[in-house]
Amino acid sequence: MLSFIARRLAIAIPTIFLVSVFVFFLQKLLPGDPALVLAGEERDPETLAFIREKYHLNEPILTQYFYWVSGMLQGDFGISLRTNQPVLELIGEKLPVTIQLAVMAMIIAMIIGIPAGILSAVRKGTAVDYTANIIALSGLSIPNFWLGIMLIMLVSVHLGWLPASGYESPFVDPVRSLETMIMPAFVLGTALAATLMRHTRSAMLGVLKTDYVRTARAKGLQEKVVVLKHAFRNALLPIVTLSALLFGELLAGAVLTEQIFTIPGFGKLIVDAVFTRDYAVVQGVVMCTAVGFILMNLVADVLYFLLNPRMRTAL
Amino acid sequence: MGERPENQANHPDDPPLLTVENLSIRFRNAAANTVDGISFNVDRGETLCIVGESGCGKSISALALMGLLPMPPAEIASGRMVFDRRDLLTLSPKARADLRGDRMAMIFQEPMTSLNPAFRIGDQIAEGVLRHRSISQADARRRAVEMLDRVKIPAAAERLDDYPHQLSGGMRQRVMIAMALANDPDLLIADEPTTALDVTIQAQILELMRTLQEETGTALIMITHDLGVVAEIADQVAVMYAGKIVEQGPVDAIFDDPQHPYTIGLMSSLPSLGERQSRLTTISGMVPTIETMPSGCRFAPRCPFVHETCIARAPELTSLSRNHLAACHFAPLEAHVVEAV
Ligand SMILES: Nc1ncnc2c1ncn2[C@@H]1O[C@H](COP(=O)(O)OP(=O)(O)O)[C@@H](O)[C@H]1O
Ligand SMILES: [Mg+2]
Repeated sequence: MLSFIARRLAIAIPTIFLVSVFVFFLQKLLPGDPALVLAGEERDPETLAFIREKYHLNEPILTQYFYWVSGMLQGDFGISLRTNQPVLELIGEKLPVTIQLAVMAMIIAMIIGIPAGILSAVRKGTAVDYTANIIALSGLSIPNFWLGIMLIMLVSVHLGWLPASGYESPFVDPVRSLETMIMPAFVLGTALAATLMRHTRSAMLGVLKTDYVRTARAKGLQEKVVVLKHAFRNALLPIVTLSALLFGELLAGAVLTEQIFTIPGFGKLIVDAVFTRDYAVVQGVVMCTAVGFILMNLVADVLYFLLNPRMRTAL
Repeated sequence: MGERPENQANHPDDPPLLTVENLSIRFRNAAANTVDGISFNVDRGETLCIVGESGCGKSISALALMGLLPMPPAEIASGRMVFDRRDLLTLSPKARADLRGDRMAMIFQEPMTSLNPAFRIGDQIAEGVLRHRSISQADARRRAVEMLDRVKIPAAAERLDDYPHQLSGGMRQRVMIAMALANDPDLLIADEPTTALDVTIQAQILELMRTLQEETGTALIMITHDLGVVAEIADQVAVMYAGKIVEQGPVDAIFDDPQHPYTIGLMSSLPSLGERQSRLTTISGMVPTIETMPSGCRFAPRCPFVHETCIARAPELTSLSRNHLAACHFAPLEAHVVEAV
C-alpha cells in the first residue's frame, strides 16, 4: 500500500514541476510590465528600479523562476498587490469555501446520479430508462449559468425562500451557510449527476450481464441483493474513480457558478486576480488548483486500489 | 453433513423428482422455437445426461429449469415443468427463488467468471447457506469450510478468505460445486462443468462430481457434448439435436443400440481409443440455424437415410422398447436398413 502511494507520488512530483514551469512562463509571455503594475500610480524611474530590484525582475528568467519556486517551497507565495495580504493567507481563506461548495455539489450529484444510473440499467429499455436518459441529457446541455440565474429568479427573487447570494461559514451559522450554498451546489451537482448517472448506468449494464451475477441469482438471492451487492459492488470501481476526478474538476470549475452567486471562493479569487493583474495571486491559485487536481487523481488511484481485491492481494 | 433422507431409492409409484413436458423456448422475433417440445423425467438420485452439439439448446433449457432464462428476449412458448410436485411455471417469483440454490442448484460452464471477483469465496458460499437456512454467520462459515473440504480443496480453512482470482480454473469450479451443494439440493444441474478446463483437471472434476453425487444422493442433470462423460456417469441419456430431443433412454440402450441416425453418427465419431473427441466427423453438413429450420425432421438435411416423409413431416418421439425412445420415422432402423440403402 505505502509503496503504491509512493510510486504514485513519484509520478505526481514531476507533474507538479511541469505545471509550475507552465504557469510561470506562460505568465511571462503575457503583455504588460509587472513592475508598472506593481508601481501603481507612481511611475518615477527610481521606484520602478527599486521594484525591479526587489522582485528580481532584472535577473535572467530562469533565476526568477528559481526564486519563485524556492519561495513557494518555503510557504512564501508572494503578496497580493491588491490587498497586500500574503497569497497563502488569501488561499487559506477562500479554498475552504470552494471545498464546501464542491463537497455539497458532489453529495447532491451522487444522491441523484448513482441511484438513477442503477435504476435505468436495471430497467433498461423501459420508460424509466428513457426518462432518466432524457433528463440526464437535458442536465448536460443546460448551461450552469442559465440554471443558476433561473434558480435565483425563481427561488430567491420570486419566492423569496433562499438568499440569492452571499456566504456564511458553516462554523459560524450552519443553517445560514446551508441556505446560501444549497442553490449553487445544486446547480453544480445536477450537471455532475448527469455524468455520474450515465457512467453508473453503463457500468451497471456491463456488470449485470456477467456470469457471477447469474451465479448470484442461481443462489436464490433477492433481486435487490443481486443488484445492490453483487452487481453494484463491481460497478463501484469506475464510479468511485470518476467521482474523485469530477471532484478535482469541481474545485477548478466552480468559477462561473461562484460568480453568479457571488460566493467569495476560489473562483472569485482568481477572476478578481486576473482582472487586476494580481500576478502572485493568479500564480498561487493556479498552482493550488493543479496540486488539488493531482491530489484527487491520487485519491482516485488509491480508492481504485482499495476497492480492487485483485490489486490489494497482489501486495 | 446435514440431514439426508436415509433412503434415496424411488418407490415405483413415486412421481419423478422433475418432470419436463413439451417445453419450448422461443427468442423474440425468431422464426422457430429454439428449444422445441422437449420432455424428460429425472428421478431422485438419478443422473440424466443431455448430450448434443454446441448451440442445440442445452444451456437455455437448463436456465429455463432454474428460472434464470433472460425473459425477454427469451420466452417459454409452451410446456410444463414440475419439480418435487410443484409446477414451476405457476410459482410466484419469490417461491421460485426459494427453490433456487436450495432444492435445485446449478454450476456453469465458465468457472473463471462465475464467481464474484469482489468477494471472498468463503463469504460467497456462506451467503447461499444464509439465504436459505436460519443459522448464524459462524455456522454458515463452518458450513463453507466443510464444503470446501468436501470438494477436496486443500487447507480449506485457509482458502476461505481467498478471492476468486487467487484460485485456478479447476479450483474455482470446485468452489462452484461447493456452493451449489451447500444446501443439499435435490437436483444439481451441471452445464458442461468441465469443458473450459484442462483435460487432466476435467477428469478430476468429473470424478469429484460422481463421488459427491453418490455421497449426497442428489439427482444430477449433466449437460455435455462429450460422449466420454456420458459413458462415465449417465443413468439416462437424452440426445438433443437443433432444439429437439431426438433419442432418449437408459445409457446402455443408447450406447449399445442407438436408433436415431444422429445418435448413430455421434457414436461412430467416438474414437475407440481412450482420447475423447466430440466433433461430428462422420455427419456431413451443418446444424440448421433458427432461420433455416426445416419444417419436417430437423435432422433431415444431414441424414444419410433421408426420405420424402422426413421432409414433409416432423417425426414424433416414439417408444422402441421400455424407456427407449427415438424421433425418427424409420425407427427401429433395422426394419428399414434394406429400404434405405
Ligand atoms: N439472447 C439470445 N437471443 C437469440 N438467440 C439466442 C440467445 N441466446 C441463445 N440463443 C440461441 O439459442 C441457441 C441455443 O443456445 P444454448 O442453449 O446456449 O446452446 P448449447 O446447447 O450450446 O448450450 C443458440 O443456437 C443460440 O443461437
Ligand atoms: Mg451451452
